[in-house]
Amino acid sequence: MITQIDVRSMLARLGPDRRDLVTRPTGRAVRTSIDTEIAALAEAAGLAVVVLDFSDVRLMDLSCADEIVAKLLQTWVGPTAPAHVCFLVRGLDDHQIEDVEHVLRHQQLALVAETQGTLRLIGEVADPWRIAFARIAERGRAAAEELAADLAWPIDDVRSALAQLALRRLVVEESGQYLPPCAA
Amino acid sequence: MSAVIDVPTRFDEWAFDHFAASYAAAGDAARVLVDAHACEWISPFGLVGLLAAGHALQERHGRSAILTVPSDRDVAHFWARMGFFTHAKDVFELHGTVPRVRGGDSHVLLEVTPVRAAEDVHNVVQHIQERSADILTTELGLDPKATMGFGMALSEACQNIVEHAGTGGWVAVHAYTWKRTLGKRVVVIAVADAGVGFRHTLEPTQGKRFGDRWGDGAALEAALLQNVSRFRDPGRGQGLAGIRRYLMRWQGKISIRSGTARIAILPPWDEGDDVPLKENLASFPGAQVQLVIPAGAQETR
Repeated sequence: MITQIDVRSMLARLGPDRRDLVTRPTGRAVRTSIDTEIAALAEAAGLAVVVLDFSDVRLMDLSCADEIVAKLLQTWVGPTAPAHVCFLVRGLDDHQIEDVEHVLRHQQLALVAETQGTLRLIGEVADPWRIAFARIAERGRAAAEELAADLAWPIDDVRSALAQLALRRLVVEESGQYLPPCAA
Repeated sequence: MSAVIDVPTRFDEWAFDHFAASYAAAGDAARVLVDAHACEWISPFGLVGLLAAGHALQERHGRSAILTVPSDRDVAHFWARMGFFTHAKDVFELHGTVPRVRGGDSHVLLEVTPVRAAEDVHNVVQHIQERSADILTTELGLDPKATMGFGMALSEACQNIVEHAGTGGWVAVHAYTWKRTLGKRVVVIAVADAGVGFRHTLEPTQGKRFGDRWGDGAALEAALLQNVSRFRDPGRGQGLAGIRRYLMRWQGKISIRSGTARIAILPPWDEGDDVPLKENLASFPGAQVQLVIPAGAQETR
């Protein structure tokens, strides 16, 4: 199941005129709203993919990038997460992507970003995983064997990369096929 | 005993050390006069620095210091148009004629604005995005892409006050010609407070790590170059790093003065005229930050 969350509408709950995601208290408030929404959806429908849509947000500072994006990943991705959730961010410009990337790298986090119709990983990711992800994104979906053939990698290396990508919720596994979050 | 603190004739970041030395020399004088009557030109850094001094003197003495208004009518008008006197009357006893001006000078990017809470940061960023973005792009030739990062840098610079100063501060944004080394227009963000300063903020977590080297200079290095924060949360300490990246992209400059030290990251256009670190300066409370973005800068990656 894919759920899209319009981050601007979450921001508007704090003040209708607000278009800028700035300051930590604002970031925390927006994240709390998103957390509540994800928790409710996860309980009701076994949520799989959350698309965070920043298209209508005018500006986001580093504090909000940390309070919203990084801290959502810390809560919902990892062995102690209360539910299995993959995140995808959409609607960030190149500079914002760069800022989010720095925030994530600093905390060894990563997620999938959609920019101009293309999916890419941002944050701290080993190069082989990034290559494997790029190929999956290009194909739409792939089994380990198909990926090994495409990349001319040993199958064990591919399985290891896919296991890591899946563990960090950067791809979704469905019946032996690996998909980027938006295709799930 | 009374003391006089001279406001430099040309009061910008360069002249601030002279002002800070005069401030430090005033010591515990019972009555302090801050003499700006001969001031001929002031930058946003000078304006917010002056308010920080007034605030610190008020805290120290329990009463407001006297501030003489510039005697040059045009200079006093500029201070008024920048909204300085609106806030100066809260921390100074003003002597001299304060000009009356109509509010909302369309050429002032951001008047002197108090920053005490997150809400103030929101208002400052919103003002810049909605009322000043046109000036930044059309009159100053700032790339439209740079104006978004400008808002981010402004937000993070102001948040340093809210998060770390332990008191309020002020911000002002203005454009003027940087004659010294550039000879062209720049946009300047100036933020100042008279709070606890970087060394005090970081000492509990960083003091031991630096050992004998610990001081105002080391604290500034830790914050600006190593992204260190007083919070243990690994997500903290990224604000100044973000500002630094933004300024590098647009050939901008950042300098921070706190306590007895000043640190700067210098763009090529200012390398011969400034130094990265100054220590053993006259002590001045809190932190004073200046960001400079040259007009018409081309993005570098």
